[in-house]
Amino acid sequence: MHGALWVSKTGLSAQDTALKTISNNLANVNTTGFKRDRAMFQDLLYQIDRQPGGLSAQDSTLPSGLQIGTGVRVVGTQKQWTEGNLQVTEQPLDVAINGKGFFQILMPDGTIGYTRDGQFQLNAEGQVVTPEGYQLQPGLDVPEDAGVLTIGSDGTVSVTIVGEAQLQGIGNLNTVQFINPAGLEAIGGNLFRETNASGAPEEGVPGLNGLGTLIQGSIETSNVEVVEEMVNMITTQRAYEMNAKVVTTADQMLQYITQNL
Amino acid sequence: MDKGLYIAMSGAKQAMTAQQGHANNLANVNTTGFKADLHQARSMPVYGQHFPTRAYAMTENPATDFAGGSMIQTGRDLDVAVKGEGWLVVQAPDGNEAFTRDGGLQIDVNGVLRTASGLPVLGDGGPIVLPPASKMAIGGDGTISVVPLGAPPEEVVVVDRIRLVNPDARELGKGSDGLIRFREDIDAVLNADPALAGQPVEGRVAEPDGAVRIASGFLETSNVNAVGEMTEIMSLSRQYEMQVKLMGTFQENSESSARLLQLS
Repeated sequence: MHGALWVSKTGLSAQDTALKTISNNLANVNTTGFKRDRAMFQDLLYQIDRQPGGLSAQDSTLPSGLQIGTGVRVVGTQKQWTEGNLQVTEQPLDVAINGKGFFQILMPDGTIGYTRDGQFQLNAEGQVVTPEGYQLQPGLDVPEDAGVLTIGSDGTVSVTIVGEAQLQGIGNLNTVQFINPAGLEAIGGNLFRETNASGAPEEGVPGLNGLGTLIQGSIETSNVEVVEEMVNMITTQRAYEMNAKVVTTADQMLQYITQNL
Repeated sequence: MDKGLYIAMSGAKQAMTAQQGHANNLANVNTTGFKADLHQARSMPVYGQHFPTRAYAMTENPATDFAGGSMIQTGRDLDVAVKGEGWLVVQAPDGNEAFTRDGGLQIDVNGVLRTASGLPVLGDGGPIVLPPASKMAIGGDGTISVVPLGAPPEEVVVVDRIRLVNPDARELGKGSDGLIRFREDIDAVLNADPALAGQPVEGRVAEPDGAVRIASGFLETSNVNAVGEMTEIMSLSRQYEMQVKLMGTFQENSESSARLLQLS
C-alpha cells in the first residue's frame, strides 16, 4: 500500500501523545509542586531504497540515492525541574523548598516516596502527614500540649509548650536530592519514586550541600506556563491536521487508481 | 499493447515514493533539530533501436536541507541550540561520531551528558561527565561550568567544553539512523563487505571550530516548511492522477485496437 499512510500514522500518534502531555500539564496548572512534562520527538529509521554512488552502468554512478524516512516517535517525556512560584499561605505546616530537594514520604507499602508538595497536616496521633495521610520522614510527632510550631530554614522543627518558656525541638526535617531528578518515576499524587536513572537519594540538611532552604508558611505552585502550553497546543494541533491531510491525500490517490483503472 | 503503460506506471510509482518522503518531513514538523530531506525526480532515458520515447522517472533525495530552524525559548539550563551553522557531536551506537542539532540534553545517573535519545554528547576529551552540582551553566562557546555541591557560589569550576564542529555542509549527509554524518562514513558502512559485518568501521573525526556559538535555554525547532511540504504533496497527488489518467488512456487505446481486429 501507500507508504505515506504509515509515515503519517506515526506523525498522528506522536502528536496525539504530545497533546496528552500538554493537556496533563494544563490540568495541573494549579497543583502544588507539580513539574511540567515535555514530549521529546525523534525521527525514525531511514530506509535506503537506492544507494548513492551505486553503479547505474558499468562506467557511471548514480549521483544521489534515495533514502526515505519512516516517520517520527516520542522518545520520552522529560520532567522540567524548574522552580514554580512561591505562594504565601501563612499556614504553619505549609513548607516550600527554595532550591533543590525533595521531602521524603513513607508510602503505605513501606517504601519512600519523594515530593515537593509541602502541604502537610497533623493526624489524630499528632504526626505530620501529607493530605493523603502518608507520614513525613523523618517522622515528626507534635506533642498534644504544643502551641506554635516553627520550622526553621535548615529544617529544625520546634514547638512552644503551653506553660513553658523554653522551645522544645521535635526533630529535623531533612530533604534529599538526586543527581538526575528527570529520571524519577512520577506515580501520581505529587509523588515520585526512585529509579535506576535517577540515582540514589542523598539526604542532607536543607541549606547545605546544594539543598534548598525551607520556607515555612509558603507552598510552591505548579511550574506550568499557560501561554507556553497554549502555543504548544496550537503547533501540535496544526501538525496533527497536516499529517491527517497526508493520510487523506494518500487515501484519495489509492481511491483514484482503483476507480479509474 | 503500447508499453507506454509502463512509463506511466513508473511515474505514478515514483510520485507515491516522493509522497512518502514528504510525509516523513511533515511527521517530523515538531521534532527538535530535525532537518528536512529534499526530493526531486530525474528522468532515466532507456533508448533502444526505435523512436526515443522511453524515459522512466526516478525519485531521489539529493540532499538534506541544513537551513536552521527557528529558536524557541525554554528556560531550561540543559537545552542548547546552535546559533547559525555548526553541530553538536554525539557518540553513535557504533562508536563513531555523528552530528546533531537536537539540543534537549539530559544528565544520566552517572552524570554523563546525553541527548534526549540517550547518546553521549562529546566534549574536548570524549563523553562529558558532570560532578554533582548545585548550579550549572553552559556558555556560548560550549564551556560547562558548575558550582560543586557544598561549595560557595563564587567557586565556579569549569568541567569540560561541548565540542562544536562546523564541517563543510557538502561533505555531510543523513545516516539511516537520522543522525548527520560524513558522507564518506555513510558510504563506508553501506559498501562494507558483508563478511566484515558487525566490525567497527573507523569514522572520520571532525575538527572543533571555535567560531560556532550555542545558546543555553533555547531549542531549535524542525526546519520543515509545512506549507511547502503540503503544496508539494498536493502537486504530487495531481501528478499521480495524471499518470493514472495516462494509464487509462493506454488501456483505451489498446481496447480500441483490439476491437478493430475483432472478426465478427
